[in-house]
Amino acid sequence: MTATLTTVPEIPTAIAPDRAPRRRRPGLALLAWLGRTLAVTVPVFLLATLVTFLLGAFSGLSPAGQLLGDAATPDDVARVNAQLGLDRPVLVQYVDWLGHVVRGDLGTSWLNGVGVAEQIGQRLEVSLSVAGFALVIGVVAGTALGVLAAVRQGSWIDRAVTVFCTLISTLPPFVVSIGLIVVFCVLFPLFPSAGYVSPTEDLSAWITLITLPAIALSLDAVSDIARQLRTGLVAAQRENYVVGLVVRGLPPRRILLRHVLRNGSGPALSVLGLRVPMLIGGAVVTESIFGMAGFGRFAADGAVRGDVPVVQGTLVVAIVVVLLFNLLVNAALVRLRPAAQRGL
Amino acid sequence: MRPRLSSVLRHRVGAVSVTFLVLVAVLAVIGPWLAPYDPLQQNQDALLQGPSPDHLLGTDNLGRDELSRLLAGSRLSLLAALEAGVVGLVLGTVPGLLSVYLGRVFEWATLRVMDAFVTLPFLVFAVAMTALLGNGLTQAMLAVGILVSPAFYRVTRAAAFPVAGSQYVEAARLTGAPAWFVLARHVWPKVLPAVAVTTAATLGSSLVIVSSLTFLGIGIRPPEPTWGGMLATSLEYLFQRPTAPLAPALLVILTVGACNGLADTLRDVSGVRAPSLRKEKARAAA
Repeated sequence: MTATLTTVPEIPTAIAPDRAPRRRRPGLALLAWLGRTLAVTVPVFLLATLVTFLLGAFSGLSPAGQLLGDAATPDDVARVNAQLGLDRPVLVQYVDWLGHVVRGDLGTSWLNGVGVAEQIGQRLEVSLSVAGFALVIGVVAGTALGVLAAVRQGSWIDRAVTVFCTLISTLPPFVVSIGLIVVFCVLFPLFPSAGYVSPTEDLSAWITLITLPAIALSLDAVSDIARQLRTGLVAAQRENYVVGLVVRGLPPRRILLRHVLRNGSGPALSVLGLRVPMLIGGAVVTESIFGMAGFGRFAADGAVRGDVPVVQGTLVVAIVVVLLFNLLVNAALVRLRPAAQRGL
Repeated sequence: MRPRLSSVLRHRVGAVSVTFLVLVAVLAVIGPWLAPYDPLQQNQDALLQGPSPDHLLGTDNLGRDELSRLLAGSRLSLLAALEAGVVGLVLGTVPGLLSVYLGRVFEWATLRVMDAFVTLPFLVFAVAMTALLGNGLTQAMLAVGILVSPAFYRVTRAAAFPVAGSQYVEAARLTGAPAWFVLARHVWPKVLPAVAVTTAATLGSSLVIVSSLTFLGIGIRPPEPTWGGMLATSLEYLFQRPTAPLAPALLVILTVGACNGLADTLRDVSGVRAPSLRKEKARAAA
């Protein structure tokens, strides 16, 4: 008895100094996560912007030709290029350009001399409305379908959802757009087929105008989220802790919403992050079909006209949006399932 | 397991997909001889007609025969998609294989490059590259090929990683087999099924992008017929002929669907699992 009493206190002292530093404080863990994330994000940003810049630099297009017209002599072109600093080494130009980009200065359009950042800012509302609405449709419909299929696993509902998702994932956004226009604008004129109105001017007109393009843009996201969520939920339902919760007598709804959904939504969230570049790309097509003066259309028009600063500016904004969204998704993953922290 | 044509054809989806793809490919090759009219020939007496015995799919706004244009457009669309697929295959698979062999620095560098490619939005980048490097589908498809290469890179790495550390590879090296021989003889067969699945899926998504670009009028000269271009024209005259988009749209959807069906069947047959992005990154960080 006395022997055991004397030996007991020794055990914690032997373990304690070893254990104490290992326990992570939440603030420190967050900092470490932030550091790891930045170590990945910053090189990617630099590389993507370098590609963007080199694309313009090697295009052989120059503002001199566009400003001076056909009558320009080689001397004139050289003079304009020197004025704009285009005769310097490419890497020097890149660093200079990146310095401006970081401060939010995307240069000015070669064609009309208006600031690129300013023009993008004017058009961003259109694209954010449509892409945002598409994302909402994708998350809501995708979650509903995915949960439904997982809950009714193996039934005809499950199979119907799978078939539906496979079907809509093969439909390209521009084909869906045309289909929606044919059905809802030509055959049954319920929706306007083109244009955009700011929500501050007319809220109901805004909703009806962005509905069709948002649906066309969202189908990919709906099918992806539904499929990933179903897989994730089915896998999570088989875990031992779910059996434990059932044994403890928790209602099925609570198990699903509180525990299974939380653990099974990881893959769906990751996919959501990968969807954003496609949403931006899809916007190029849908905006031109539905006659909206948005970000995607601006990028396409700039590219067709050979307006290099516009092309570079739109690409940079797209890259930043994608990276920011990926960061958000990663942060959400960590919040949902602390284990995800280890895998970034 | 190595995917064989016979085992693909035993699946219903696989058989239908392969049959359809072969049919489209044959039509793309011999289409110009089958076409009832010259796809560029205009006819002022037959504008925007519906389907009739003379013009099985009707005519467009310049009186050109839709069926002939559809057949002529197949070749361009399929070739462009194929080009993107091949570029992606080469640019993704080669560094994917090498990253397993050349050590940490190469691995880290290629992973970052691939991450950067994933960040660039497909269509915006393709549009930019076409416009800046010359208005042609070849340039656009080069861009698309670059952007799909991360998919190939990831599946190749995921498949090659376990093989590279296996005992028979070690044994082969010990007997003095050169690296290229080990790669070709031992690693490549294990990587092939995953790459085949990705190739099929990539062809489908490339076709969507080709059609989107030609739909926007990028990468083609106007009279040249393409599936996307025909859809764009049909959209302008939608109120006169609401059924006009049907044929080109169906052709795009079915071909893309057949590519996806083939990819799914290949995946089932060879037991390839799509590598998860997170696992891949965790492995790189470890």
